[in-house]
Amino acid sequence: MLELVPKPQFSVVIPPKTLQEGYLVTFSSDWPSTHDAIREKTFRIDAVNQVPYDLSYTIPTGDYRDVDFANGSGTFKENIYPENQSSLFEVLLGFKPGNFVSHWYIPSGKSVHNLEYAQMYPDLTNAKRKYLGARTPKDSPYEDPRIKLYFVKDLAPMIMRLYVLGGVDYEKIVAGLTINKCLMREITIPTEADRLKAKVIRYYDYLRW
Amino acid sequence: MPSTVVAANTTAQTIAAERENAAVKAKSITIDNLGGGGDRVIEIQDIFTPAVTEGVAGPVETTVSRFKYTALAGDQITLGEDEISGVKCLGAMKVISDVIDASCFITVGYEHE
Repeated sequence: MLELVPKPQFSVVIPPKTLQEGYLVTFSSDWPSTHDAIREKTFRIDAVNQVPYDLSYTIPTGDYRDVDFANGSGTFKENIYPENQSSLFEVLLGFKPGNFVSHWYIPSGKSVHNLEYAQMYPDLTNAKRKYLGARTPKDSPYEDPRIKLYFVKDLAPMIMRLYVLGGVDYEKIVAGLTINKCLMREITIPTEADRLKAKVIRYYDYLRW
Repeated sequence: MPSTVVAANTTAQTIAAERENAAVKAKSITIDNLGGGGDRVIEIQDIFTPAVTEGVAGPVETTVSRFKYTALAGDQITLGEDEISGVKCLGAMKVISDVIDASCFITVGYEHE
């Protein structure tokens, strides 16, 4: 009739998926000198603003489209990059279900998913290697995106190549983006504790050692 | 679930307009040919313009037939979700008939997904 629910002995706290106000980020030393404004520096996130944005493309079977996230006026440019040095865009990307795969390149033409043996790179003309490094909609669903990208001003173009697999005439590929706009303020003299707490954002080259 | 009723027409009649970030999935189809003047061939068309791709630099509007059924004169049929689970339009969902018939009605229930 009357019950007092006992206090739980423990609870699980799931941290937010995205950077929040007050979080710290550090850009590692492997960023090139062209990114001197952020290289080896630590920043505090002063403000965040999540901007949802859906991209969609209807593509025939066996064909592909390159989606360039960088800014510009070309057909394939999607203008997702920041224009301000003090902005960091953290982008969550998920796909609606479909009969396709995605391959990733940064800069254009350089896959981030090569293996080390000769010719072991994604190749859409090869029956087996078209699946090498391929991310499918299940890897990052629209409702629970798991692909995360970090964009700063003047970053080299990141390319997402969307390829429609056989078995359908056309496929409509919908990529749902949540662009977490982060306003960064530099911490000129970060403490050791700041450095330890900060999320380290490395330059993309570290993916290809 | 929204639905739209159209009369049989040789010009494609819109059931659901294209939505950029979703496909249109048919959930039910009812063809009421009780008062129709004869057998009618009813077709669901998917109309869209594909994206510019590596293979096609100048895509044009494309029509793909997604469903076809011959409704006999004096008959009515309803197909539920199980029977038409694969009927999905990437662009606009339209219905077209082989003959104009103001007494043959097609009702399509649909969802964007």
